[in-house]
Amino acid sequence: MLGACLDLIEFDMKQSESLPTTDPSSTVPAPGDRMTRAAARQLAIYAAVVVLALVVAMFGLNYLASLTSSAAGMSREAVDVENNIITSYLREEPPQMNSMRSSDAISSMVMAHVMEGLLRYDENSELAPGVAERWEQDGRTVTFWLRDDARWSNGEPVTAHDFEFAWKNVLAPATGSQYAFLLYPILNAEAANNGEVSTDEVGVEAVDDHTLVVTLETPIAYFDRMVAYMTFMPVNQEFFEQTNGRYGADADQMIYNGPFIMTSWVHGASMQLRKNPYYWDADRIKLDGIDYAHMTSDSNTLQNLFKDGQIVIADLTSEMLEEAMFQRWPLSQFMEGTTFYAEFNHRPDRLTRNLNLRKAMLLVHDPSELVNRVIKLPGYVPAETLFPRWVQGMDGSLREEYPLPPLQRDVEKAREHLQMALDELGLEELPPLVFLSSDTPVARIQSEYYQEVFRRYLGIELLIDRQVFRQRLEKMTAGDFDLVGAGWGPDYNDPLTFADLFASWNLNNRGRYSNPELDAQVRIAQSSLDPQERTDAFGEIHRIIRDQAVIMPDYERGYVYVTDPRVKGIVRHVFGAETDFTNAWIDADAGEEQ
Amino acid sequence: MDQHSKHPSAAVVPTLRPTDFEVLGTQSSAPVLVRPSRSYWQDAWQRLKSNKRALVSLYLVIGLILFTFVGPLVWRVDPALQDIDQISLAPGADRRALVVEPFSAWDGVTEWQQSQGQSGLRVADSPNTQSVRLKWDASLTAGGYLVYRNIYEPEGMDSLGLPLMEIENPSQAYYEDRLDLQPDVYYYSLVELNDNGQPMGDYQMVTAEVRRVITVDEVIARNLVDDPSALMPGDEVMLAWHPLGTDYLGRDMLARLMAGAQVSLFIGLLAPLLFVSFGVVYGATAGFIGGRLDQLFMRFADFVVALPFLLFMILFQVVFGIGPGESGIIPMLVALVILSWPATARLVRGQILQIREEAYVSAAKLLGASNKYLITRHMIPNTLGVILVTLTFAVPTAIFTEAFLSFIGMGVAPPTASWGSMCNEGLKTMLTHPHELIFPAAMISITVLAFNLLGDGLRDALDARMRSSE
Repeated sequence: MLGACLDLIEFDMKQSESLPTTDPSSTVPAPGDRMTRAAARQLAIYAAVVVLALVVAMFGLNYLASLTSSAAGMSREAVDVENNIITSYLREEPPQMNSMRSSDAISSMVMAHVMEGLLRYDENSELAPGVAERWEQDGRTVTFWLRDDARWSNGEPVTAHDFEFAWKNVLAPATGSQYAFLLYPILNAEAANNGEVSTDEVGVEAVDDHTLVVTLETPIAYFDRMVAYMTFMPVNQEFFEQTNGRYGADADQMIYNGPFIMTSWVHGASMQLRKNPYYWDADRIKLDGIDYAHMTSDSNTLQNLFKDGQIVIADLTSEMLEEAMFQRWPLSQFMEGTTFYAEFNHRPDRLTRNLNLRKAMLLVHDPSELVNRVIKLPGYVPAETLFPRWVQGMDGSLREEYPLPPLQRDVEKAREHLQMALDELGLEELPPLVFLSSDTPVARIQSEYYQEVFRRYLGIELLIDRQVFRQRLEKMTAGDFDLVGAGWGPDYNDPLTFADLFASWNLNNRGRYSNPELDAQVRIAQSSLDPQERTDAFGEIHRIIRDQAVIMPDYERGYVYVTDPRVKGIVRHVFGAETDFTNAWIDADAGEEQ
Repeated sequence: MDQHSKHPSAAVVPTLRPTDFEVLGTQSSAPVLVRPSRSYWQDAWQRLKSNKRALVSLYLVIGLILFTFVGPLVWRVDPALQDIDQISLAPGADRRALVVEPFSAWDGVTEWQQSQGQSGLRVADSPNTQSVRLKWDASLTAGGYLVYRNIYEPEGMDSLGLPLMEIENPSQAYYEDRLDLQPDVYYYSLVELNDNGQPMGDYQMVTAEVRRVITVDEVIARNLVDDPSALMPGDEVMLAWHPLGTDYLGRDMLARLMAGAQVSLFIGLLAPLLFVSFGVVYGATAGFIGGRLDQLFMRFADFVVALPFLLFMILFQVVFGIGPGESGIIPMLVALVILSWPATARLVRGQILQIREEAYVSAAKLLGASNKYLITRHMIPNTLGVILVTLTFAVPTAIFTEAFLSFIGMGVAPPTASWGSMCNEGLKTMLTHPHELIFPAAMISITVLAFNLLGDGLRDALDARMRSSE
């Protein structure tokens, strides 16, 4: 009896051991087995039907999407040799194509293809006559003589009145143009923009159809360089009034005077440009059309599109570089002309107002290490100062004419400055500083690198405040930071666009740096007509910014990009169109060699 | 007995003596049918042990806990330390480096012996990972130069590789390349440009075999050798060892994984513990008391279920006033606890309602058992299995949530690592440095899988109905 009992227990235990490891279905008693199998078969059939239906639906929807897609009717090839059309992309949808209100780089790029101002940039990025045949500056008066054969895309001539109308409209407070300040050198422009005087009193006048006379507030040396910017482009008054405020919102709500016209604009998806037969210099334009068939800024997508032969140009990230070299694609470099730097907060309640602290931090900062070993992106170049290398002095680069000692890490000296700063501030130890940063991949790497550099060499803790662009801008304006990762790109082709950034009155001077010495130099640069005097002033500003450690320069941004070997003559400008196809042509033979 | 009664006469007439009435003592020879007694827990453990999947998962979980808490004591590397010499290094890469003098800027004039007297494009100093110095003969006709670098041998003007720098000053006939130099062979090409920046003529090419180097200062700073004073330029040292490689800032992956595990397990264990216990108390109260209170409690639970998690997460970050550079872990914990308890509460309430109606509970009540007795004797033991299983399944969910929130940048603040944020960082370099993504992703997967399988095994083991004794 006892033995039997133990057996029973053992048997039980065996069963219990086998239970969890075996498949639950096998423990179902035998009579139900057939039913289970039938149910399983039914389930399998259902599953197969569902999967099949989903596959069919997927292909069906894909087909429907291709029928209605924006790219319908556009060539799917990067280069359409037969129709002489190339396909490219836009980084994002232009908010609008109203030249009087636009302020972004994408609009500016499209605008440079479909519109033309008084002056334009040629294939060497030099200023060339556009609608204006010639121009002359005499003190405060600038006169532009317009060519006779410039026409709108409806056949009407482009006249000086179109410019006068556009410029006055930019300044009209009702227009609300963000870039109205670019016109402030013109007499009464600022007052008109603030609503103090009527726009009729602004110093721009069409003397006749082909002569435009501009009176300036004070004589400035760089006005001709400004008028190539899109804010200065002409607008046909009659057409503008017809559109009832929808000017520039759609392809048919605009008329064009540039090398191309926009024939279709599917918002958020694509844009189609075709050659403008009325353009005065139509012989120069060799392409018959440009299709912007994609609107995306995702670099991986763009690189894949290029690889698939769907776009003619793409910027490369370091991930694709090796592949690009392996494929033997022709690579080019383009310096965007912007400088990125960490800006200190100079407001009185901030520790970073202390010069020795700023100097200490600048002394451990090594832009070369940051760019070459940490960011490692092709096209990026270490920055030495606020002024990028393209900024010209008298003969050569401003930087070479007014050289500064290279930025080199000197930990000992930095620690001395830090000690002095602590003594001046009456602190034993420095509280953590807030580094306001954006949320881009580069900014992320940069902020974490900074965190480690200041911790390792100076023992300064850095708190990273990562914000999206708009939020960051808000915090920058409010002064809610100790250091901020910022960048500045030129608005017009003169060193002043960088030089006045840290003038005490400039609203873009987010750190509120204020130095009468620097302000005085900015005033000289603004008002002087003597190139040497201006250049000296720029050199002095350049030196003050370094000596006072106003910023910590990081890098100048550039891109390495790849182009389709069949398309020649693509130009990338610092000003005007970032990617300019107006001088491009298709060389079908070049592709066959590849 | 019968025999005794049949032949009484044949035998001696029994006489009863007092000794006959002595107590014999307790009889213990009767067979007792019992098996070794095992408690509920012993039984459950027995079943868990026999479930191989659950057992392996259990070992994995134990291993993970050791990795998290003992690991940092063994692998004493600062997870925030940036090793600029070894950025994005795959595991098992070559670590040898030559010791050289500290880097100093080059004037473009001095040249090493080997290239003196040479003409054309040439390497002007020993090429190493600090810099590659190129020199060429200034051209009188050129308006500038363009320097290219390639890792494959160029085949023509179109395949020169990466354009490094456009030099606009024709008298500057040198260039110092420092961009992301790896120990490898590079092909440098030089193209002369005309005044408009267009290439003219053919290209010149030179190869440079770059060696990995390190300066004495860096050797001392990183504590790579025992006796740095004996170190001479030209000596070979081994760089710091990173068994799982480094990330995009040269930080040790192993140390970061351990640091990340602390964050993950902190959230993954503490949050379920808190919300399950709250859910248990809440659900048990509702179920036990019943009536209108039950209605009220359960409708409130329904309301909490309807709250969107992500939105709440963001609101919590705001309400908590998470400033710059502060970790979002505490608000994440609070949000998880506040929003995740209703599932447990519902489960426990259901269980309690069911048990309340059982016959043995009614019997206990009839026998006058107090509420306290009912709860401690019947309710808790019978719901414990469910609670434990919920807990084990809640752990992987919480770990996953933490990883997800860190992935989208709402979790830890840099430089603290978390598996989720490491995945996010690794994603960007997935094609070139896959190890930065694979390791944290594998850690998340393994942990979540282990906890899930363990939970599965526990559910089987703790299920009272499957007790073998029945």
